[in-house]
Amino acid sequence: MARKEKSRREKEFGLTAYILKPMLVTAKQTLKSTINRPNTVQYPWEKLVLPDVFRGRPGLIFEKCIGCGICMRICPNRCIELVEVDDLKHEEGKPPKKVKRPRVNVGRCMMCGFCAEYCPTDAMIVTPEYELAAYTREEMIYDPYKLQFPGVPGNEVHIEEILPSELNKGVAPRRHVEHVDLPVVDDKKCISCSRCAKDCPVGAVKMVEVGVNEKGRPIKRPVFDKEKCVSCETCVEVCPKDALTMQEVQ
Amino acid sequence: MISMYLDIWQLLGGLIHWLLVDIIGAFVGWLGFHGLEAWLGSPGVLNFVTILIVALIVFVVGMLVSITLIWQERKTLGRLMDRRGTQVGPIGLFQNFADALKVLVKEHIVPEAADSLVYNLAPVVIIGTSLMMFVTLPYSPGFYVSNPQLGLLLTLALFGIVPFAVLLGGWASNNKYTLIGGMRAAAQIIAYEVPLLLSVVGVVILTGSLNFFEIVQWQQDNVWLIAPMIIGAFTFVISMVAELERVPFDLPEAEAELVEGWGTEYGGMRFGLIMMSEYARGFVGSSIITLVFLGGWDMPDFLNVIPVGLWFLLKVFMVFGIIIWVRGALPRVRTDQILNLGWKRLLPLAAINIAIAIVFKTAGVF
Amino acid sequence: MAEMWINMGPQHPMTHGLWNLRVKVDGETITDAEPVIGYLHRGWEKMVENRKYPQIIPMADRLCYGSSFTWSHVYCMAVENLMGLEVPERAKWIRAMSDELQRIGNHLMWLAAIGPDLGNLTIFLYAIREREMFLDLFQSLCGARMTYNYCRIGGVRNAAPPNWERDVLRTLDYFEKRIDEYEDLVDRNKVFRMRMEGLAPMSGKDAINLGITGPVLRASGVKYDVRHNDPYEIYDEVDWHMCTADEGDTYARYRVRMDEMRMSVQIVRDILKKMPKDGPIRVKPPRNAPVGTGFARMEDPRGESLIYVVGKGDDEPYRLKVRSPLYVILSATPLLLRGHKVADVPSILGMIDVCMGETDR
Repeated sequence: MARKEKSRREKEFGLTAYILKPMLVTAKQTLKSTINRPNTVQYPWEKLVLPDVFRGRPGLIFEKCIGCGICMRICPNRCIELVEVDDLKHEEGKPPKKVKRPRVNVGRCMMCGFCAEYCPTDAMIVTPEYELAAYTREEMIYDPYKLQFPGVPGNEVHIEEILPSELNKGVAPRRHVEHVDLPVVDDKKCISCSRCAKDCPVGAVKMVEVGVNEKGRPIKRPVFDKEKCVSCETCVEVCPKDALTMQEVQ
Repeated sequence: MISMYLDIWQLLGGLIHWLLVDIIGAFVGWLGFHGLEAWLGSPGVLNFVTILIVALIVFVVGMLVSITLIWQERKTLGRLMDRRGTQVGPIGLFQNFADALKVLVKEHIVPEAADSLVYNLAPVVIIGTSLMMFVTLPYSPGFYVSNPQLGLLLTLALFGIVPFAVLLGGWASNNKYTLIGGMRAAAQIIAYEVPLLLSVVGVVILTGSLNFFEIVQWQQDNVWLIAPMIIGAFTFVISMVAELERVPFDLPEAEAELVEGWGTEYGGMRFGLIMMSEYARGFVGSSIITLVFLGGWDMPDFLNVIPVGLWFLLKVFMVFGIIIWVRGALPRVRTDQILNLGWKRLLPLAAINIAIAIVFKTAGVF
Repeated sequence: MAEMWINMGPQHPMTHGLWNLRVKVDGETITDAEPVIGYLHRGWEKMVENRKYPQIIPMADRLCYGSSFTWSHVYCMAVENLMGLEVPERAKWIRAMSDELQRIGNHLMWLAAIGPDLGNLTIFLYAIREREMFLDLFQSLCGARMTYNYCRIGGVRNAAPPNWERDVLRTLDYFEKRIDEYEDLVDRNKVFRMRMEGLAPMSGKDAINLGITGPVLRASGVKYDVRHNDPYEIYDEVDWHMCTADEGDTYARYRVRMDEMRMSVQIVRDILKKMPKDGPIRVKPPRNAPVGTGFARMEDPRGESLIYVVGKGDDEPYRLKVRSPLYVILSATPLLLRGHKVADVPSILGMIDVCMGETDR
């Protein structure tokens, strides 16, 4: 309760108030600290216990990652790049396949947690590691193998939201709402190069023949699968003629 | 009353006599130098060597207790603020040696435009007079170096040489901030000398002497002087805290202010000596308070098993603990408010104290 | 002694933050003052012109770590104003509650900073120890202790963890007793009062003319609080009242902030009672903002903060303008310091609660 009622200048400035009251307060604290332990955590011999949601450095679960690049696009400091590395699992006798996985510059990372939040497959997680000192700057760039971390389900960050049109209608929040945005193709600009279909990380783009042009070559247009698309915008970036744009669903 | 104490004069006198006459004297006599043997056994040489060794021992004990005061301050202040204090060594006892080592290996710099004679002389005067005061203080009836008849006056006089050296040191550093700091420090200390001395006049009136032994003897026969002279004790403690330049009166050496204090340009061991002198004067101040107001080494009969010197040191630690406690609870007071407090409030209180002492004496109570 | 200009700063243990205060001194008395800022300029307003709208939220956190949630909150409100987006009910309640917890954290940091200025280290450690409790609360809510990245355009990031209400109520119960202890240590301390009472009085008229807002304005008797005069989120449904003082000196500014801490505790308790228990907390914002302008203002722990956004139809803003309350209050330094002694400077400036991150951006 705010003490607005009493006039402040006469706030019980009686005899004990001269210097005795502060000395009593400090004496009580001295006794409490001597009989029990003081409030110090003697780092580095003792460390605090961190909750699962603690945002330390980003971590990667290699098997779940699809190489879509959403983490690369959303990072505010541009610390993440996708690099081609050998896949971890490969069949006997054959060379391992090359896949795209993120490489994080942990020295620049500000531990905002966006990569973990926007990852469609929960492959990027937040980890409780914060002791990241190294001797050179090159050591601070974690390649996908070093970035791995054995995470618990509490380390994942989920977005649970609703569409603006569903507000006040009692619709429960759910996951993956942001994946309702699909790309649309501008017919005049598309040249049927099929690069969007080749680069899509989840295989949601199929090229469909819609006709034949003057020279007898088939004209193909991409068709997007609503169930598989994760709105990563890889196709939008890769298209050489900028024929694709994301269509918002409100 | 029967109390245990270590009479260092008898112990060391006997030891030196045995050493010089029976061992070295006999050896020299066996070699054939009888003149030397007679000279070694003469009372003059014996006295001189005894005084030297006793002074050395008392000095070393005094220094060790001062260092322990530093440890006590850091640990108490730590627990007061809900943290551990220093932890170097078993319970933090090695911190002072670590500090001393660090201070010894630092570079000694003299500013180019500073007056180097005075600049080098100022810390010498400060630490010299501070350590000289160990000589006049008795820890127990047998542990003292010299027992001057005017012991109290001599100690307080030595206390008062320091502001002069502070002003010289601040001025000689050729830095306008240290000059202001030095002037402030000198003004503050001189302003508080007057209530300091006046509050002791009451004690002198009641006990009739300035000798430490007689004051403590009077307190052993009658009551501890803190009881009739409560106002005087209060004034003396506050003035002593201001003399020692501690919080709440440490504006001359405040870090968060514009001027950094008179000792800015001193680095390395000089700074170490200045720090040392602060705590040495703290020890001397607390000892004077204990001897004059708290009965010195007086203790009830049933606690006979503790040696008297240790009981005295316990009281000194207690008094210093109160001074640390005040540091933990109060912020700094502004300069003009400090001087205000000294001249306008403490001086009348000291005068009232003298009046009370006169009343007690003439009424024949003591 | 002739009048001379003295530089306090930029490296000085007392001026919280990186700025230079030049004072013209005649003996011990100050005759003029001039603040020189710009040492911490990071080019924030230019930097955000190259980022998408959601990427700016953690950058707004870092405008000032003491009031980090309020800066990202006012940014999200401005962008929602631009996009015409409506936020779910439950998100508004959670945002207001985080605001008030941030306000308590900021005032504790301020309390910890004035201790060493005036020479007392005890209050520093006590206030930091209490602030740790509130940082732990935020850590269990969103994973980070100081720069939360918790507000989103369209709501908040995630719902409160289980046992949130129990934890917050426990912390507040413990904290109220500690506020009593701080008042014992500072208010009933003759030395603190001697150093704070009667210093640097500023009349209400002068404060309004200089454009000062926040606790400094309310300590001069002017009843102006953005939560009251222009309520945003749900402040018109919560039971609270404004904290003001009449005298306008340093002690009044101190007193207003202590009262605000108690008032924040009361507000959080009320919010926990009235908050809807379930419902959506987040709405999907559009990727591209329309061409137009949007702005929002709210009561920062230090004053009134305002953000003005100009959109260009793209997913990056065209211009973002930040109105920082401390930038304006620092211009009042000459008025406050004239006629006082040099030893009063830490005491007066400490009560203004300087933070250079948002002043220089």
